Amino acid sequence: MTAVIGMTWKELLRKKVLLMTVLMTVLFLIVFWFIARTIGASEVDTSSPSAQLVEQYAHGAALLTLGFFFGSFILAFLVIFSSFSSISGEAETGIMQSMLTRPIPRWKWYMGRWLGYMLFGIVYALILYVSIIVIADIHANVPRSIAVHIQSYLLFALTVPILVTLSLLGSTSFSAIGNGVFMTMLYGAGWLGGMVEKVTSTLQMDPEVLKTLYNITGLISLIMPVDAIQRKMLALLLGLQDLAGMLDMSGSMTAGFGLGEIPSASFIVYAAIYTLLLLAWGIRRFYKRDF
Amino acid sequence: MTMTAIDIQNLTKEYSNGKGCRNVTITVGEGEAFGFLGPNGAGKSTLVKMLVGLIHPTDGEACLFGDPVGSLAARQHIGYLPELYRYQEWLTGQEVIQLHGRLCGMSKQEADARIPMLLERVGLGNRGKDRVKHYSKGMQQRLGLACALVNDPPILFLDEPSSALDPVGRMDVRRLLQELKQEGKTIFLNSHLLEEVETICDRIALLNNGVILRHGQVHEVLYAQTRWHFKIGGFTPDILPWLTETSGIPLQILQSGHPGTGAVTASDSLQDTVWLGAVIDNEEQVGFINTLIVNQGMTLYQVEPVRERLEEWFMEAVSGLSHRGEHE
Repeated sequence: MTAVIGMTWKELLRKKVLLMTVLMTVLFLIVFWFIARTIGASEVDTSSPSAQLVEQYAHGAALLTLGFFFGSFILAFLVIFSSFSSISGEAETGIMQSMLTRPIPRWKWYMGRWLGYMLFGIVYALILYVSIIVIADIHANVPRSIAVHIQSYLLFALTVPILVTLSLLGSTSFSAIGNGVFMTMLYGAGWLGGMVEKVTSTLQMDPEVLKTLYNITGLISLIMPVDAIQRKMLALLLGLQDLAGMLDMSGSMTAGFGLGEIPSASFIVYAAIYTLLLLAWGIRRFYKRDF
Repeated sequence: MTMTAIDIQNLTKEYSNGKGCRNVTITVGEGEAFGFLGPNGAGKSTLVKMLVGLIHPTDGEACLFGDPVGSLAARQHIGYLPELYRYQEWLTGQEVIQLHGRLCGMSKQEADARIPMLLERVGLGNRGKDRVKHYSKGMQQRLGLACALVNDPPILFLDEPSSALDPVGRMDVRRLLQELKQEGKTIFLNSHLLEEVETICDRIALLNNGVILRHGQVHEVLYAQTRWHFKIGGFTPDILPWLTETSGIPLQILQSGHPGTGAVTASDSLQDTVWLGAVIDNEEQVGFINTLIVNQGMTLYQVEPVRERLEEWFMEAVSGLSHRGEHE
């Protein structure tokens, strides 16, 4: 399996998708630096220590929300566009045919590819996470608790195995291009569901309409839990649940950060089980498939 | 007694569109070279893919040295060059071979130790450090052969191994296959290049529309009947019945075609020169006919045995039959 993981890493390091992602990341971090500097340089209300604290917190929170909003896009771009053609694309071009005749069980091949993409994505997520935190910390106040950062990073990185698993599963069924479209649409649907939740949480709407909308967005989150996990991660990083006891967090503040409904811890457990089930399904499909 | 390397019993793969192959039964002995022929779309690649574990059969069974096809043990025995050969273009040739070696359970060092020899053997020489994206189709096919040989497998499945090669490359591959055969490898060769099959294979089978139409030893196919051609000068047509009656062998004036000399009709460029043809079992009869011709005052320019070509055997076998491939 290590040979397959190594091959996957070589593929990622040598294909243009990584170069594109690195360029996007560098460009994003430069822009983010200037945004952070601008926000950090804005005047803070010093009329009272609590107001000053809240405003400094708001600056940091806004920066982190912005940073991770785009950071998650970049991470998703890397993961989806590096893995969407891994099975069907290689079967279409003929690369797969000579490899699968080797004495390696198909599940090991599949797991090797999965681990290769997943580990690479997790390392990239770490670089991205640290970069965003460091830039935000230079220009504003960000949480310093290592435990919070570890938990937040793990949630940020959890999107990688989810996306890799869905992408590989799709690649066992759809053509390379079809899976690329499928994954982009699915990710887009997840993001749209999150946006609908954020927008509706700030609006006064008929409860029946809200219920219907939440049902739809809830269903989307179940299929593509990435956006909901990102919200959970930001809520943890910004300590929104802890602050809820001290500050009035009913609606406006959370909505101001664009977080909407924060998923519960059970949702993370669901996402983990969902990923494992999809992984098992993908392995089964790969095992049964003719090449 | 030679061991059975490939044992195929009623192997079937049926697709919803009616393609695939049905009830194929073949046994190939260890060290034997087996040629698998058939028109496009006959199901040859489907059968090979079942044997190498890429396609799950719908019925029947097959074993490689006693291990069921598709099992890890069976896959330990094989090297495979697919019909559609492509390799990771972001890797170098050496890295591709090394990867195949590692997938076969070899250590990096073991694989690396074999790479120079393999590159040399398939004619890639010092191009191993180039990325595959800079390889031509022919070079990729050679690389595919190197990958197939990396674990020194006892059985080689080669699906059109020289389809992308120029004439020199084809000769190289033919020579390589002959060497491999001499080394005792079992070769299962799918090829449209019938000369290649004739040169290398001991036995052949012809698949049409998914079923085995004919099979046999190559030498039986090629030497089932020996035709002899006689080029004669000063020939007059009324001498033919006499020749036939005296020799007891039906001779005929060739009306068209003669192997190796292009189109020949009853009358050649030389005046009163013709080619006569007859099926003759032994050379003594040939000598007798030669004597009769010379004694009648005719000039005997040339006498030669003409063996049947595999191409003729193939064409004759499939003529008049429907093919579900590109001729549909």
